[in-house]
Amino acid sequence: MPLQHVGQISAWFAGTDIALLELRGPGGSLTLRQHHGSITADLDENASCTAMPPAVLDVVTAASVGVFLHRHPLHEAPLVRVGERMQAGRTLGLLRIGALLLPVAAPRSGIVAGVLVAHDTMVGFGARLFELLPLQP
Amino acid sequence: MIEILSDTALTTVQDLGRFGFLNWGVGASGAMDPLALAGGNLLLGNDENAAAVEVQVFPFAVRFHVPCGFAVTGADCAARLDDQPLLPWWSGEAAAGQVLHLGLPANGSWRGSRAYLCLAGGVDVPCVLGSRSTQLRGAFGGHEGRALRQGDRLRAGLPGAGVRPTGFGLVPPALAMPLVSEGMVAIRVLPAAEYDRFTPASRDVFWSAAWKITPQSDRYGYRLAGPRLDLVAPIELRSHGIVPGVIQVPHGGQPIVQMRDAQPSGGYPKIATVIEADLWRLGQAPIGSRVRFLESTWEEALAALDETARWLAKVHELATLQGGRAGRA
Repeated sequence: MPLQHVGQISAWFAGTDIALLELRGPGGSLTLRQHHGSITADLDENASCTAMPPAVLDVVTAASVGVFLHRHPLHEAPLVRVGERMQAGRTLGLLRIGALLLPVAAPRSGIVAGVLVAHDTMVGFGARLFELLPLQP
Repeated sequence: MIEILSDTALTTVQDLGRFGFLNWGVGASGAMDPLALAGGNLLLGNDENAAAVEVQVFPFAVRFHVPCGFAVTGADCAARLDDQPLLPWWSGEAAAGQVLHLGLPANGSWRGSRAYLCLAGGVDVPCVLGSRSTQLRGAFGGHEGRALRQGDRLRAGLPGAGVRPTGFGLVPPALAMPLVSEGMVAIRVLPAAEYDRFTPASRDVFWSAAWKITPQSDRYGYRLAGPRLDLVAPIELRSHGIVPGVIQVPHGGQPIVQMRDAQPSGGYPKIATVIEADLWRLGQAPIGSRVRFLESTWEEALAALDETARWLAKVHELATLQGGRAGRA
């Protein structure tokens, strides 16, 4: 991270009520702390943090053509919400094929990161339905 | 093998009913919601007519003593297997020792009042006079001819793990084939033999009123509350054969709809008859709710029966396909 940007980031940071901000990149890491209005910055240009891999999201796709349902037809509440932790195998959504309802299941345990299709939308085979942040890679 | 854990009342084993014995005084019995029973059975690859447990009083719980495929249909009653929630109208598989809980029926977009617990291969009770339904009046059929009690154990026809593919469900027929009038469940009926003997005002109000299902309503019959229905002149009738769906009007002027456990004869004037295809709608209407009657014709009644037959055929086709696919996976 270019050193000249630290001042700008610190100024933005001062305008928030965030107490701790850590930025990591291939060039090093920046830690900003805010305490009683004063800001301390630690810039570490050591390459030790370059091993931090970007989070890889699982994409859950439609196993069949059907109408994607984000909630059960009898229910008002969605089956899952973004940020919710789901165990492997739990139902994230449904595919309606005529009278039949098929589950869209979590392939492994994770946190729901995105619902990619609106409720009651016709989808094709392989359509991307959910993003899931796996809890164990 | 399942064991009834609840100190239950009015829970019985039912199939689609016992037909062809009304002339001997043997009533029909059978599920109050035949579509829920048939739908649950089809999810499991069972015959539509396989016997299941009809639950009318909640909460309700059973323990599986051996692994078994099952389906819960009918009222949406927040079913869960141990602590895992189960969607309405859904099939699952229980491991030995697991407990299936049914909670109070929910007030969702559709509110039912009876749930069906279907088991892989059907509930294995003896077939009496062509049916496994409990005949409470005659104390035969079902499980020992009586309602289930805490501690009773029932066998499934096809117990075991992985015997039937499970883990999918159905869109409830109340949503697939809705029939609502002015926000109330609507029931199609045919005018019956004594319809013309009621006053014109009573006939009009029969169609326009919101009929409340009173607490004196059960598998034998539904006593409705609403405007008084009057005959032009009193009539005396000999007792004659009646079937589930017949709407009688006794002296008080408040109608009674005969339901699955109705006795096969009666002598009150009959104002109308619920069409066979809509008996399930009434069978699921909760006590305290209001229903409306829609005048129908013989042709419409047959068309409605065809519509439910088509729905069941479609469910059968899709569930068989899905079962085959899940079985290969």
